[in-house]
Amino acid sequence: MTKQADVIIIGGGATGAGVARDCALRGIKALLLERGDIATGATGRNHGLLHSGARYAVTDRESAEECIKENMILRRIASHCVEETDGLFLSLPEDGLEFQAKFIEACRAAGIRADAIDPKEALRLEPSANPAMIGAVRVPDGAVDPFRLTMANLIDAKAHGAEVLTYHKVTELIREQDRIVGVKAVDCRSGEKKEFRAEIVVNAGGIWGHDLAAMAGVTVKMLPAKGSLLIFGHRVNNIVLNRCRKPADADILVPGDTISLIGTTSSKVPFDEVDNMYVTADEVDLLLREGTKLAPSLAHTRILRAYAGVRPLVASDDDPSGRSVSRGIVVLDHATRDGLEGFITITGGKLMTYRLMAEWTVDLICKKLNINKKCTTAECKLPGSREKEEKISKRLHSVPVAQRESAINRHGEMAERLDVGDAAARSLVCECEEVSVGEVKYALNELDVHNLVDLRRRTRVGMGTCQGELCACRAAGIMAEAGKYCSHQAKQDLVSFLNERWKGMAPVAWGDTLRESEFTMWLYDGVCGLKNEKTE
Amino acid sequence: MMTEQSNFNFEQCIKCTVCTVYCPVASVNPLFPGPKQAGPDGERLRLKHKGFYDESLKWCLNCKRCEVACPSNVRIGDIIQAARIKHSTKKPGLREKMLANTDFMGSMATPFAPIVNFSVGLKPVKVVLDKVIGIDHRRTFPKYSFGTFESWMKRRRKKQAKYARQVSYFHGCYVNYNNPQLGKDFVKVMNALGVGVQMLEKEKCCGVPLISNGLIDKARRQGEVNTASIRKSVVENKWPVVGTSSTCTFTLRDEYPHLLDIDNADVRDHIELATRYIYRLLAEGNVQLRFKKKAPVRRVAYHTACHMEKLGWAYYSIELLRMIPGVELTVLDSQCCGIAGTYGFKKENYPTAQAIGEGIFRKIEASGCDVVSTDCETCKWQIEMSTSKPVVHPISLLAEALE
Amino acid sequence: MRFDTVIIGGGLAGLICGIRLAKQGERCAIISLGHSALHFSSGSLELLGALPDGSTVVSPADALDALRQMAPEHPYARYSRERFLALAAEGATLMQEAGVATFGSAEQNHYRLTPVGAMKPAWLTFEGYVHSPNADSLPWKNVALFNAEGFLDFYAQFLKDEMLRMGTKCAAYTFNLPELEQIRQNPTEMRSANIARIFDKRETLDKLADIIAAKMDDAEAILLPAVLGVDCKDGVRYLEQKLGRKVAVIATLPPSVPGLQVQTLLRRYFQELGGVYMLGDTAVGYKSEGNKITAVYTRNHGDIPFLATNYVLATGSFFSGGLEATNDRICEPLFGADVQYVADRGEWYDRDLFKPQAYESFGVKTDELLRAMRQGQVIDNLYVAGATLPGFNAVKEGCGAGVSILTALDVAERILSKK
Repeated sequence: MTKQADVIIIGGGATGAGVARDCALRGIKALLLERGDIATGATGRNHGLLHSGARYAVTDRESAEECIKENMILRRIASHCVEETDGLFLSLPEDGLEFQAKFIEACRAAGIRADAIDPKEALRLEPSANPAMIGAVRVPDGAVDPFRLTMANLIDAKAHGAEVLTYHKVTELIREQDRIVGVKAVDCRSGEKKEFRAEIVVNAGGIWGHDLAAMAGVTVKMLPAKGSLLIFGHRVNNIVLNRCRKPADADILVPGDTISLIGTTSSKVPFDEVDNMYVTADEVDLLLREGTKLAPSLAHTRILRAYAGVRPLVASDDDPSGRSVSRGIVVLDHATRDGLEGFITITGGKLMTYRLMAEWTVDLICKKLNINKKCTTAECKLPGSREKEEKISKRLHSVPVAQRESAINRHGEMAERLDVGDAAARSLVCECEEVSVGEVKYALNELDVHNLVDLRRRTRVGMGTCQGELCACRAAGIMAEAGKYCSHQAKQDLVSFLNERWKGMAPVAWGDTLRESEFTMWLYDGVCGLKNEKTE
Repeated sequence: MMTEQSNFNFEQCIKCTVCTVYCPVASVNPLFPGPKQAGPDGERLRLKHKGFYDESLKWCLNCKRCEVACPSNVRIGDIIQAARIKHSTKKPGLREKMLANTDFMGSMATPFAPIVNFSVGLKPVKVVLDKVIGIDHRRTFPKYSFGTFESWMKRRRKKQAKYARQVSYFHGCYVNYNNPQLGKDFVKVMNALGVGVQMLEKEKCCGVPLISNGLIDKARRQGEVNTASIRKSVVENKWPVVGTSSTCTFTLRDEYPHLLDIDNADVRDHIELATRYIYRLLAEGNVQLRFKKKAPVRRVAYHTACHMEKLGWAYYSIELLRMIPGVELTVLDSQCCGIAGTYGFKKENYPTAQAIGEGIFRKIEASGCDVVSTDCETCKWQIEMSTSKPVVHPISLLAEALE
Repeated sequence: MRFDTVIIGGGLAGLICGIRLAKQGERCAIISLGHSALHFSSGSLELLGALPDGSTVVSPADALDALRQMAPEHPYARYSRERFLALAAEGATLMQEAGVATFGSAEQNHYRLTPVGAMKPAWLTFEGYVHSPNADSLPWKNVALFNAEGFLDFYAQFLKDEMLRMGTKCAAYTFNLPELEQIRQNPTEMRSANIARIFDKRETLDKLADIIAAKMDDAEAILLPAVLGVDCKDGVRYLEQKLGRKVAVIATLPPSVPGLQVQTLLRRYFQELGGVYMLGDTAVGYKSEGNKITAVYTRNHGDIPFLATNYVLATGSFFSGGLEATNDRICEPLFGADVQYVADRGEWYDRDLFKPQAYESFGVKTDELLRAMRQGQVIDNLYVAGATLPGFNAVKEGCGAGVSILTALDVAERILSKK
């Protein structure tokens, strides 16, 4: 089977999704191939911090400027993915106050609002903050949900003619002389081999872009850096807490949806570990130790899980243009760089700048395809962010409050597409996160869901306190009934979902987290008799 | 240790669903989200944003049976009530104020008790209360007494002071305005044990009807007055504070710190229920109760009121009842009778209240008892209205049996 | 408050121990922090379903020797075959006396059908629950399965497919009733116990019987989720009489109706025997003299202690708070009894949730007589029963209920024999 497109994008993270959307809005036929589900790499494994740029103001002015610009854009175009919490940079006694003046000055120079406030006032604004602080600066940080953001980009891309194929792993880049003309891929679910052809192939594979580049016969040298984070059981803080000092480990506490998370650690890891990273006990201890300095109550807060992501750092010596590295965003035109036509690598950057990365990439694509269309992604609102929440809420008034607000938080005005007309559809699958049968069905029908983990990324099923204990089985049951898979597959999917949850819980499995896990095991192994066939 | 005291108590919830089995409301009224959802699950969402507060939490009757059932020591009932206090935007109306101010209503009614009792029993009055105010017309009102317990006590102060051992009695609005006889019975039993009974310097309504009707500031003010008086009694005079109402006693001990932010840690352990105080006194072995020689056989069914269940003190009342000659005791399965103080008086709650109580009413009728005994006055109203049996407080049964 | 024996923990172990003692006229109190893990029951009790190496057990009694070899610290390892069988038989009898009708024997496992269609070895299955002598087949060739419409804690599709694999044709239907409509108005409370409550009324069961009769066709057996009444315990029998067919039920996800029924029956029996059951209370402290516990204090009873000659620790494992894990150690929180565990946190777990987890076999150290140890010393009058004990994996070895019942009876006998 051969399919044609103008552009093939490899990688379903925020960048790939942004490129797909930008292409689609400019009338370029895009096909996005993702080897797993969307937002599974660095996109979904970071703080979810809507940087104001303040963190970089002192050390990296250009990044800081990019951040504050994109920050303001995302508030506008992706309002349902963003929480406008603001951030505080706390100076603790051990930090001293010297950094603060330099920090404020650098922020202002980069165009970032930065107001020093009295520690008492800071404590009033954010009661969880360490009362020992000696100084605080308020900046326009926020929180951003990477899963929602990625999905919204893809929904819009598809609405404008793009095609998205998840669970399609690229096995080969088709090279004809000095040109990449397409890719060979395998449909991971059916095993079917496919071929796709296009004028341009974009490598948006994040850390896996290293291998993709190698497939094309060019070198993009990346250094995988592991960053671990902890998720706490509830929203401890409502304002992002940072340390007012040079960026270091575990110095950001971000409230995101129903939880708060602290991160990150930073360590180099070999490539063969990037697909399966485990958070170590030392990392957990470090995160907790530093985290409690920002918010002392973390010491007594239930930890839901730990996870780690990989930052795709690009080695600068490989960049001949020298243009991109200092800013973090790296757009490589392999035609000029390596003499290989039809192949572009977009990497570096951060979740915050995904849109700008996409803009630069698609600008380059347009240049190559001789298309004269301007980027509009900074103005066009993403689906879900096109109406005020209060308005949507009024229209959905018959839905119980918590369920309604949760659905609107997650889907914006797309929540109206949820079929919650009758009582059965309003039944909750996930009680912690208020995910209804109607929402699950909407995700199954419209949001490219193939398994429970995908469903979790679209809806937060299993992301709450119980980590899937009550909801996983219900959701698997609904998926089997909906014909997503047979009941045997459903049960194995349930096993792998629970194991994926356990992977995050095990590093922090003491106290109530261990109690929860023991209970989950009693139910699924004991009462239900589920077995993991992979190990037997 | 898995206690109630940890920082974020709601996080101890393992989502095991046990509480949902024992919620008397959720099983009869689908409008109440249920203890798990309204409690720990909802709390987590409300911490995210106050907009997640759902006014349907008003259906919770604060029986705390979810807390008793919880294997994780989650203060589910407190979480729900605290959320109502913090987030509800519904303003209490005339009805709420009428029902909540038991103190005021009582002091107005008792001087005219015969007239008041007669008129609230009249059909037209009930129709007006129902239609205009929203107090269900099927509800029987507790009768007001002619003259208060306090005025009776005042005349006996000197005599009571003669006893070597003293307690302060928190009589509550019910004893004061509706049933002074229970207070008199209490004094009789205490005196028989060689204990004199004092009143608190100032006693206000414990505040439970104020809390459940949304009049929190007033509840807190009254709670502070009571706690100050209790402190004086306990700390200065070394007199423990004893009550006959399980709900008042529970409120003074636990609802004050948990819902009203009143710190009573220094005196909490010295506030207790009459039956517990008496049990301990008897267990110490220095005093004895002398019962009438010829006691007729009396079949008594003990009903464990919700707050009694939460206190965990039904044991003491049951043990005392067992001591009474002639009493054949049946302990009913501990279930909510549905009234929950002023909850069952409200028109919209009436069907829920009666549906909740249905099971216990049936069991009472089937038990073949002569009399039901319970430590809670509102259970008494509900059971007397909904069954054919009279309800008598354990202390009154005890007093009756004394020589 | 003075008792002969005070039992801390009101689950299966605590109740069985209390019943056994109360039957001999001992004055017992049980202190229970809320309702127990019985509320998640599968509809069966397990004695020994598998050995630690994973091999399936056909006869628990016959497997004892192999178990002793593989796991010398297993609570069963202390019992001879005769003793094991005697304890098991006594446990079954007590259940019967409490009003819990069961099927099964300690000599030969049978199999129960799980909510997702797997077959698991069982010792005693409650009356009316689906079971089979074989692991790979059911006693029927053709059944009809009825689930309540919109009930999410029961998996008709899973069951249907698995039954087909075992050679049983299954037609799956849903039923609806006005009473269900009302429950469904609440987005979360369409739970097993709430559904079961509507069938406490005979009229509702009659309506269900009519629905089933109209669809059952030639099915040999009618299968349903375990929701046929909470107070009413003969729902299955009643339907059988009405329909003239075999009717059987399958446990659901929590809350478990059979579990809460068994809990109620055992508690009632204990109370009828004169036992005092303190629900919703937490033991928070104790007094000791030498190697004896002299008093236990609880949150509710404050300065009035529980005084007893003997104490039983039946507080369960982590879930129930009998053991407590922090990031660097595992302790028994009430008495500070010695806990057998591995120091390195990394070794508490397996990365596969479905493999044996080492933490499951941690527990309070005891002497041969099941008396707890503290700082290497035996506490003379503190016995340990059930999941608080070390050396076994309740889930993987399918022995949770068995260990609870057998050790509880063992402890009770030791207490009685001291008299």
